[in-house]
Amino acid sequence: MAENKQREFSELIEPHISSLYSTALRMTRNQNDAEDLVQDTLYKAYKALAQYQRNTNFRAWIFRILVNTFITAYRKAVKQPQKVSYDDLEEFFLYKRLDETVSIQETSKEEFLESMFDDDVKEALEALPYQFRLVVLLCDVEGFSYNEIANIIDAPLGTVMSRLYRGRKLLQRQLWDYAKKRGYINDDFKAKV
Amino acid sequence: MTLKQKSEKYDCADIERLVQKYIDSGLNDHEKQLFEEHLEYCLPCDKKVSFELKLKSIIRHKMSHEVPPENLKNKISNLLEHLE
Repeated sequence: MAENKQREFSELIEPHISSLYSTALRMTRNQNDAEDLVQDTLYKAYKALAQYQRNTNFRAWIFRILVNTFITAYRKAVKQPQKVSYDDLEEFFLYKRLDETVSIQETSKEEFLESMFDDDVKEALEALPYQFRLVVLLCDVEGFSYNEIANIIDAPLGTVMSRLYRGRKLLQRQLWDYAKKRGYINDDFKAKV
Repeated sequence: MTLKQKSEKYDCADIERLVQKYIDSGLNDHEKQLFEEHLEYCLPCDKKVSFELKLKSIIRHKMSHEVPPENLKNKISNLLEHLE
């Protein structure tokens, strides 16, 4: 019996290990904690396997356990990013800043996005408060729907949308700050009149 | 223009209000049609919306899955062996 259960479990989790680990790493920002978080998640999932209804969305089910485990056991231990300001979070934030940047006019704004390093994008995302980072990861990286995310984080749909939209705007502001700091943009930020 | 006709077109403010839902394919067919009709004749909105779509895909691409370290694979095999 136990062997069958183990085999079934092993087959169920196998396709999700790398996305669980990536999400854990972005949330804990630390390889050791990420490994432990995945391990704890799998252990809890195994114990709760009887509650999983066969042929329903296993991926969402196990992500829900990951998020719960992160919030109850890891969140407090993880250093939160510096306090972020929610001012000036306008729509199209990054596009508008690039549009005001004289040196970027000649090249395409989309080329600018391509030129960013993977690590800059990772750091920018990791700088977001965890509630926002989580929802952006689940939607933009893992491709979950709004409804799936509402179920995973156990929050109403409206909360999912407002965190996602706000999270993306915060991320755009973070990317803009990186662009200036890293010298992708090197003019004096003279806004077009 | 009657109220009904007026409401059948989106303006730039509607695009700004709905862009995030649009990039997540969250608009219903009617909203999507009105949204895209606006983009057809409004170049500034069209450019902004393509930028948002591009940014979303770049984030997904640049944050692509990390390969789990050997250490984790060992931990998992170990865990699986000891589960009851």
